[in-house]
Amino acid sequence: MAWTFRFLEEIALADIGFEAEGGSIEEVFRGATQALLESMATPSTVAETWERTIEQSDVDPSALLFDWLSEVVYWKDAAGVVFREAPLTLTHVHDVWLLRARLIGAPVDQQTQELHADVKGVTKHLYQLKQIGDRWKARVVLDV
Amino acid sequence: MKLNTDMTVNRITDEIWEIPVSEKTGMLVPARIYATREILQAMDSGVFDQVTNVACLPGISRYALCMPDGHWGYGFPIGGVAAFDVQDGIISPGGVGYDINCGMRLIRTDLTLADVQPHLEQLMTELFRKVPAGVGASGFVRLSREEFRRVMTDGARWCVERGYGWHRDLVRMEEGGCIEGTDPSIVTDHAIQRGMNQLGTLGSGNHYLEVQVVSNDGIFDPVTAAAFGITGHEQIVVMVHCGSRGFGHQVASDYLKVFEKSMRRYGITVKDQQLACAPFRSPEGQEYFSAMNCAANTAFANRQVITHQIREAFATVFGRSAEALGMELVYDVAHNIAKVERYPEGDLVVHRKGATRAFGPGSPELPEAFRQTGQPVICGGSMETGSYLLVGTDQAVHDTFGSTMHGAGRTMSRAQAKRTVHGAQLQQQMKQRGILVKAVSMSGLAEEAGVAYKNISEVVESVDRAGITKKVAELRPIGNIKG
Repeated sequence: MAWTFRFLEEIALADIGFEAEGGSIEEVFRGATQALLESMATPSTVAETWERTIEQSDVDPSALLFDWLSEVVYWKDAAGVVFREAPLTLTHVHDVWLLRARLIGAPVDQQTQELHADVKGVTKHLYQLKQIGDRWKARVVLDV
Repeated sequence: MKLNTDMTVNRITDEIWEIPVSEKTGMLVPARIYATREILQAMDSGVFDQVTNVACLPGISRYALCMPDGHWGYGFPIGGVAAFDVQDGIISPGGVGYDINCGMRLIRTDLTLADVQPHLEQLMTELFRKVPAGVGASGFVRLSREEFRRVMTDGARWCVERGYGWHRDLVRMEEGGCIEGTDPSIVTDHAIQRGMNQLGTLGSGNHYLEVQVVSNDGIFDPVTAAAFGITGHEQIVVMVHCGSRGFGHQVASDYLKVFEKSMRRYGITVKDQQLACAPFRSPEGQEYFSAMNCAANTAFANRQVITHQIREAFATVFGRSAEALGMELVYDVAHNIAKVERYPEGDLVVHRKGATRAFGPGSPELPEAFRQTGQPVICGGSMETGSYLLVGTDQAVHDTFGSTMHGAGRTMSRAQAKRTVHGAQLQQQMKQRGILVKAVSMSGLAEEAGVAYKNISEVVESVDRAGITKKVAELRPIGNIKG
């Protein structure tokens, strides 16, 4: 696994902040996605009975990550689901970043799933996606 | 005095502190913080930074304010209040909060602790079953898109028309539970899709439903308490804290994006991206105001449907109708909203974010029932320590644009609370102390432990001494439902 994430204690007093890191921009997307999924439910407790394929693109990878994470939150509410995994690929063609992802999960089930926060959205507070040396870092604060 | 800021903070009174305009480039008015010395010293640095950022926004009137429960927020601090001229000023989603019309509701009963204690487990189980909470929960009300648009325009009125409540409930809500000036046609499909299935749900985070007791020694103002239907004698009341759920958040997110782009066109610069705003009279400003009102109405409706479910749960457990149990609404107040109100300066767009309207006696906006007393103000504390019922004052109208505190205010991050407190252990300890907690998420429960919050009694004391609200009654928890 070429990505990591950690939840931040020093920011977002009332909400959830995390920092994801990866060896590539695609890997940092994966780390940030995993942090978001784990904020809502423990993925291993979620079945694989619901799936959506999502494609998004933007010239700005920072805006793309923001929109992608927001889309995950949207489907949580719109379909009433939590997620097991979200495999994704990121390609850069003609100055446009293209995200292709599968959101995989199951309808919320309080009996079988280990549920956490009902994330309401992704915020721009301290939001950041940047390259430091050969590593990519994202900092995200979720409103809960 | 050691504070978490390098800025100069001048004492105005023992409960009012002022940061002069000289402390930050661009400040148009001073910033004022309402707090005792002790609370001020404990405030995080974000409060000082954010309230002075707010003081830089175009058209701001008098002061940028922060209440004693203030802490770091998005753009505005939580506990922030600011009023902007309707002609020259702005409107900002960051001054309202993501959870539009997050608010508090209090329901009284004729039941006493002696009536409820033997049935508490059954009552909490029934409430937990009837009021969905937690991540992804959907409510029992199934709505078409068209019907959801009616909720956006009619708010709690829609609920009462469909049998989810009583007509007399409506007069005991801020704005009668229905704010005019909505336009559902400008609300995005994403927002509608997120909100359609969430009517009658609590959510998670700091949202809750709490069964509480009012003892005789917890009543500070018996006359006002009686006027609010609070009689003491171990009386049972029910408090609800929630808002517009995913719908409100989507509206806020949608317009933050719109404003980020339009600010350049209007020549507005802000100190923090989360303070994105538009001139109130601009097309974008008016659209957000209408969409925000749509979300505010869905929040009133959400709390009304929850009230209906609470009444049904009590009726089931106690074998008498909710009316026979005296389950009247005390009041419903918004604490995340922007409203146009008239002050000596003229019509102002008053933003309250984690702050409650607190109109005093005689305010024409108040229903007849509260003309003599002033408006009930409902302040939620942590689930371990209790809550307060306060009353609005003329001084609040004069000093703070008719505003006061909304709750205890956090002092510890969620991550830190989870490291410090174990959810299941906390649940057991609270049970031993006579507070029965039903929670969807044990980690979520740990995050809401009393240790993560300021002492609400100290916070309440600040606003009482400052005169912007007065204490009416203390409400002690015996049962809590959390997402």
